[in-house]
Amino acid sequence: MIRRVLGSSRIDPIVLACALGLSMLGVLFIGSATIGTKFEGLAGRQATFIAIGLVAMTAAILFDYRMLLKFSFPIYCACLLPLVYLLVFGQSIANVRSWIRFGKFQFQPAELAKIATALLLAYMFENEDDTGLRPATLVRLGAIVGVPVLLVFLQPDMGLALTFLPLVFVGLFFGGLPAKGWIAIFLAVAVLAGGGWFVLKDYQKARIGTFLNPDSDVLGSGYQVRQSKIAVGSGGFSGKGFRSGTQSQLRFLPVQHTDFILAVIAEEWGFLGVILVLGLFATLILRALKLAQTARDRGGMFLVLGLTAMMFFSVVVNASMMIGVMPTTGIPLPLVSYGGSSVATTLLGIGLILGVQYRRFANA
Amino acid sequence: MLRTREDRRALVRRIEISRVAVGAILSMLAVAYWITQIVRGEYFFNLSENNRIRAVKITAPRGYVLDRNGTTLVENEPAYTLHLYRRESKNLDESVRFIVALLDLNADVVKSRVDRGRRGPEYVPIPIAENLSIEEVSAVEARAAEHPEFAITVSQRRQYINGGSAAHALGYLSEATPEQIKASNNAYGVGDWIGQKGVEGAYERLLAGVNGERRVIVDSHGREVNEANRLEASPGQNLFLTLDSKLQQIAEDYFKERVGAVVALDAKTGEILALVSSPTYDPNWFTRRVTSAEWNELLENPDKPLQNRAIQNMYSPGSVFKVFIAYGALSMGLVDPDMKIFCPGHAEFYGRDFHCHKKGGHGLVNLRDAIKESCDVYFYNLGKKLGIDRIAEIASSFGFGKPTGVDLAFEKIGLVPSEDWALKRRKARWYPSETISVSIGQGPLLVTPMQVARGLAGLVEGGRLPTPHLFYASQAPGTNAPLRYTAESSSTMPITPEQLKIVLNGMWAVVNEAGGTAYGSRVPGFEMGGKTGTAQVIGKGVTVKAGVDKSKLLDNAWFAGFGPVADPQMVVVVFVENGGHGNLAAAPLAKLLFEARFVTPKTPTTGVQAMVTGEPAPAAGLRTVSTARLSAMAASPSRRLAAAERDAQLSAATRGGP
Repeated sequence: MIRRVLGSSRIDPIVLACALGLSMLGVLFIGSATIGTKFEGLAGRQATFIAIGLVAMTAAILFDYRMLLKFSFPIYCACLLPLVYLLVFGQSIANVRSWIRFGKFQFQPAELAKIATALLLAYMFENEDDTGLRPATLVRLGAIVGVPVLLVFLQPDMGLALTFLPLVFVGLFFGGLPAKGWIAIFLAVAVLAGGGWFVLKDYQKARIGTFLNPDSDVLGSGYQVRQSKIAVGSGGFSGKGFRSGTQSQLRFLPVQHTDFILAVIAEEWGFLGVILVLGLFATLILRALKLAQTARDRGGMFLVLGLTAMMFFSVVVNASMMIGVMPTTGIPLPLVSYGGSSVATTLLGIGLILGVQYRRFANA
Repeated sequence: MLRTREDRRALVRRIEISRVAVGAILSMLAVAYWITQIVRGEYFFNLSENNRIRAVKITAPRGYVLDRNGTTLVENEPAYTLHLYRRESKNLDESVRFIVALLDLNADVVKSRVDRGRRGPEYVPIPIAENLSIEEVSAVEARAAEHPEFAITVSQRRQYINGGSAAHALGYLSEATPEQIKASNNAYGVGDWIGQKGVEGAYERLLAGVNGERRVIVDSHGREVNEANRLEASPGQNLFLTLDSKLQQIAEDYFKERVGAVVALDAKTGEILALVSSPTYDPNWFTRRVTSAEWNELLENPDKPLQNRAIQNMYSPGSVFKVFIAYGALSMGLVDPDMKIFCPGHAEFYGRDFHCHKKGGHGLVNLRDAIKESCDVYFYNLGKKLGIDRIAEIASSFGFGKPTGVDLAFEKIGLVPSEDWALKRRKARWYPSETISVSIGQGPLLVTPMQVARGLAGLVEGGRLPTPHLFYASQAPGTNAPLRYTAESSSTMPITPEQLKIVLNGMWAVVNEAGGTAYGSRVPGFEMGGKTGTAQVIGKGVTVKAGVDKSKLLDNAWFAGFGPVADPQMVVVVFVENGGHGNLAAAPLAKLLFEARFVTPKTPTTGVQAMVTGEPAPAAGLRTVSTARLSAMAASPSRRLAAAERDAQLSAATRGGP
């Protein structure tokens, strides 16, 4: 059956190749970043998670996404339950309650909640016929995304909470928020942020900063960004060579196999390596958006858009924080950074995108 | 489920817009990386190089200090410090409990040190205890497997072998002050040892050598991964002092219970054979981290042990000054040595009565006898004839009121009064009656014992004023012959041999003729000359406040001696604060010193003396001793290296684990 699926060319090979390429790059550089440390062996674990992710991906392709959309609300509720459970009973790991343990394994339920939220969002817009966005839809959109964001935010994992926000944007933009609406949102954000900045005192700002991200100053976030910039910049055009990055091999980089994996690639493979990674993501995302255009229904379109937007957001934020353009927020690079839940669910998401494309013809 | 074509077209259009936006944003990111990696790539590359290569100082072994015969006075000994490496500790409280019990340390002190260290970065080891004994070191090493968080580092500590002996000549080491760091152009850093005072301070550069540097590759914990290259330290030179330990020892024994100073000089070269300032202090205190109680004791001691009385305290010279007056008056042709003056025991000058120290008077005395018996009335008259400005000229020509040029810091220059000085400094005319006081070494005139010794050397040598110095020779590690040092000398007033003989004869009579003021201290079988002095601490007639320690009001005792009279080799100045009479308190030590140097059988010249004078060095000479010591010094850095290797192995072992 797999041969039929691939052989008949109904599965988009470009998205699949990009996803597999990025995953393999990840395994390669997790190996480079962890060799000789207590994290050695994580590359193998990552490969295992990729395998699990590929199984999930295949299942997602073969399973009719329209069924998932139909049951998206129960799925959504089922995925939010562990988040509630975590807040009540969760054990803190590094001051954050975002992991559920299954014996040897840990799982981050928020990653799955992202997929569930995207599904529910798609189901909601499946049933929206208007070209414009109705106020009731707006409220529901806020609720659908708001609940998991709040739950994750309370863990507290601000980075992960932020990765839900692209779904709001998808709803607003593709749902057809009129120009007046955008102006209103822009003004509201400007007034809130700007006003808050002037009203709050310095120590209050600092306090809010610490509250939002208590881990940011363990090593000093300034130190992290500085070391990461040095790693990226010192890579130059073609890099210092695989496993030869001084910044990474001498552990100047913080959590280099997870959030800062791109800095390792940038140091060891230089600008060429960065272009390779960004190029693969660009191809993947642009291709996925193209596929969204060919989806057979609005639900499929919004599902692809939601999943792609979340990935795009993570890529941009993560790549920007390597070079100090954005603050460090603990958002990993999709597919590449070490993290079982993240890589497996991202592959599951790509499976859903491919599934939408697989069933693009009404007679399928 | 049915939707209009309009709707789909709008959505498709929005997706098209979003694809352009995605492309634009990712392109901007690529540009940002281009700027970071290509445009600013070199800048960040240099930063990354500095990040991983760290310079670690190799402290150069400090040169030893030895006396003129090659007897070691100052050496280095290994000092063991216990450090706690936090990253190796599983439980800090447990670690503290373990070490407190093992070494019987003060738990509160250890805890406060750990708490203080905790504020720093994790990779910086916390010092727990200094100066561990060998037994303590082996106790810690034996438990290294269970407690890898504790490690011993070896460093070199300055060891002043004889404690407080010659402390003022040797000086001491202390951590560089912020001013010294600034003055050194940051060649010294916080926590670096630097020589203070004495020869440790004066010859700091010679003794310190040049520190080396290891450039090591470190990880972000500062943990050493590899050594990139190393520049060996070049050890400091060994320093031979002009001091003669035998004489020094005799002088120090004499001053155990006394306060004062001794200077013994080679009359011809100015080499300082003995230099004592009493009370003394133990320079080892400073390298063992002085407790504040010890510091306060040192600072609040009314006798100020840190002061070098030989160069830093100024006193009235008393009658010792008379020989310089005699010499000057002869040189100027203003005295007929045969002319006799009648001393009735007192005389009146400018309406004031001045006493001679001998109540009944000396009767008729000439210049020679006036020196021998220290007749005040004779010198009152001579001083009156000279006037204060000529006296000042004489004093200056013997180096009073000027630095002696001794190779020690913080030398005081004393005070030579003159009419000009009175107008400028006192804003008042000079009283002629003061001249009478100055002519017997009282009044505003102030000198240091070192100045007296140098002046006396100039006098007995007929006008050749040497520069006193402690630097005898230096020896670079690995070389055989030490480099000899000679100091320059300057000239005093010219004098004919006949005139000089009169003064020297008077000083000979002081010791060797019945009736001489130091006849009691004559040296059997040896001709010592000299002059006693008994200087008033306060002017006569001053009412003494109640409660003042009476012993502090006793006269200061001086003796300035030389010998042998026929060919002066050595001058000795003994000064005893509140010692009373010079003949009783000071002269006996001079006798002991001349006896030791010239009368008791001379030990054959060995070691450095033989080497610097060009005689063939004996087989077991200084050379073998010092090279052995040098190799011992050179061995210590590698010991430290071994500790570092152990550390690296330890961290490798930690890495190998799950």
